[in-house]
Amino acid sequence: MAATRKYLKTAEMAFSAFFSDGPLVLLDYLMRLLRVMILLALWRLVLDSRGAGATDDPGLSLGALLTYTLIAQVFAPQLDVTTRIEDAMWEGTLTGRFLQPMGLVANFTSELLGTWAMVFLTFSAPLLLLAPALGVDPRPASPLHGLLFVASLALAATLGVAVDFIFCGIAGAIGQNIWLIKYVRTGLMTILSGVLLPLQFLPWGLGDVFAWLPFASMASAPLRVYTGTGDAAWLIPLQAAWCVALWPVASWIWSANRERLAFHGG
Amino acid sequence: MAASVAGAHRLVRRWLFFGRLDALWMIRDLGSFAGYAFSEGLKVLAAIATMLLLSERFDGVGPWTQPQVVFLLGFAVTANGMIDDLFGYNVAYISRRIGRGQLDHVLMQPQPMPLTLLTEGFSPAAGLPVLGTGLLLLAWGIGGTAAPASPLWFALLALNLGASCVVILAFAYAVGSLAFWAPRAAEEINSSSWSLITQLRAFPLDGVRPALLGGLLSVVPAGFAAWYPCRALLGLDHWRPSVVVTPLAAVAFALVALWIFRTGMAHYLDTGSQRYLSYGHRR
Repeated sequence: MAATRKYLKTAEMAFSAFFSDGPLVLLDYLMRLLRVMILLALWRLVLDSRGAGATDDPGLSLGALLTYTLIAQVFAPQLDVTTRIEDAMWEGTLTGRFLQPMGLVANFTSELLGTWAMVFLTFSAPLLLLAPALGVDPRPASPLHGLLFVASLALAATLGVAVDFIFCGIAGAIGQNIWLIKYVRTGLMTILSGVLLPLQFLPWGLGDVFAWLPFASMASAPLRVYTGTGDAAWLIPLQAAWCVALWPVASWIWSANRERLAFHGG
Repeated sequence: MAASVAGAHRLVRRWLFFGRLDALWMIRDLGSFAGYAFSEGLKVLAAIATMLLLSERFDGVGPWTQPQVVFLLGFAVTANGMIDDLFGYNVAYISRRIGRGQLDHVLMQPQPMPLTLLTEGFSPAAGLPVLGTGLLLLAWGIGGTAAPASPLWFALLALNLGASCVVILAFAYAVGSLAFWAPRAAEEINSSSWSLITQLRAFPLDGVRPALLGGLLSVVPAGFAAWYPCRALLGLDHWRPSVVVTPLAAVAFALVALWIFRTGMAHYLDTGSQRYLSYGHRR
């Protein structure tokens, strides 16, 4: 217990600091809620105009698609992990992190868990409760799919932390503005992860190719497991394989480049 | 008459000056330029990819044909590019300048504040990737739609594009003015307000419930960023005066934003900013 105390304390500090900038954080919630409502309306518009909510994919009904969209927003922080490392690099506060009595990954991950707990309580849980009013069934395809989703989401988040460290490590290595690297990462996630547009809906068979990439393992895989629109026996091992492959890369990039980082602060 | 000619001459000279500075900044080294161009290109692609791929897969979105969706995306990206070109360097993200105390830099210049805000953010080189992509999409969309490509129609297109920019900027300034009263907490509020507009502007809002749609045309005017003017220009809205609704809305939003900004300025002139410590770092 004593060994985990420092991590729990870091998480608690992140949890309690969530509203430190005042209630303006609620504007982000408003944005997310608006976006989910518009996306749900968009799917109905697209699929209803084709007749009775039909899709070309027999496994992806309108109902499953709406659940996919809602769950993507409920677990958005876990499906596109962003630690505060880019802010710390930009603000120059990363130097202070190196002095704290825990590893850098553990430090940022503990902080992330605290933030996630607050977001879950203040946004995700209310959105799940609101789902019937939005005309969406938020339940997983079956209890088994629900259990498998927990494992898949954990792997997705673990992979997300590795990818976040890899991109920030690259920014340090090539000396580029951290926000340019962030734009690249966000762009790749939007297009390749399936978090907005399910990969099954991509034209020209692109989805079959993108499904093999780590970005799909970060978002599309858990969502397909939850909605029962993908084969968990293939998706979860692929996620695990990407974790095994990318964590050593993340570790190497940081080891090789941490002394090249320059902080200006201010 | 002579005064207005002199004013226009001064405006153009300022734009040329800041345009040159922007170009020099962009090409300061090949690595930075390539990194910026690549990331901006990918950012634009990501913003439009969902709707573009969706319309390709389903041959349109609801009442919107595929070329009409391309036109919608082109309109949204072009308006974004125009704002990037004319109001870069945090002029559009005014909450950052206010919150960081940088409005003092504007106030101390020997010229009217509106002239500074109108020219200081001129960044044709930095904004080129976005504006160029938008214009290409717009041309592609116009080529595929049955839009009456007459001089009058192009004039209405230009008017609506300008009006959309005004609506978006007015929203940014109205929200960003919160930083006059809460400089620290609201410094980044324009990041949220811009995300709100940019994430919602690319969607056809036809299927949205009326109450929500009303909100998207008033409280958060994302509907005027592309959807409403494009519906009007493409004839999807059969009410003929709809082509002037966005310009009229732009006037209304601009007046509201101006009032809020002036009220905030009056407060700022009393209190000033205390965001910077004496040795230069931000609090």
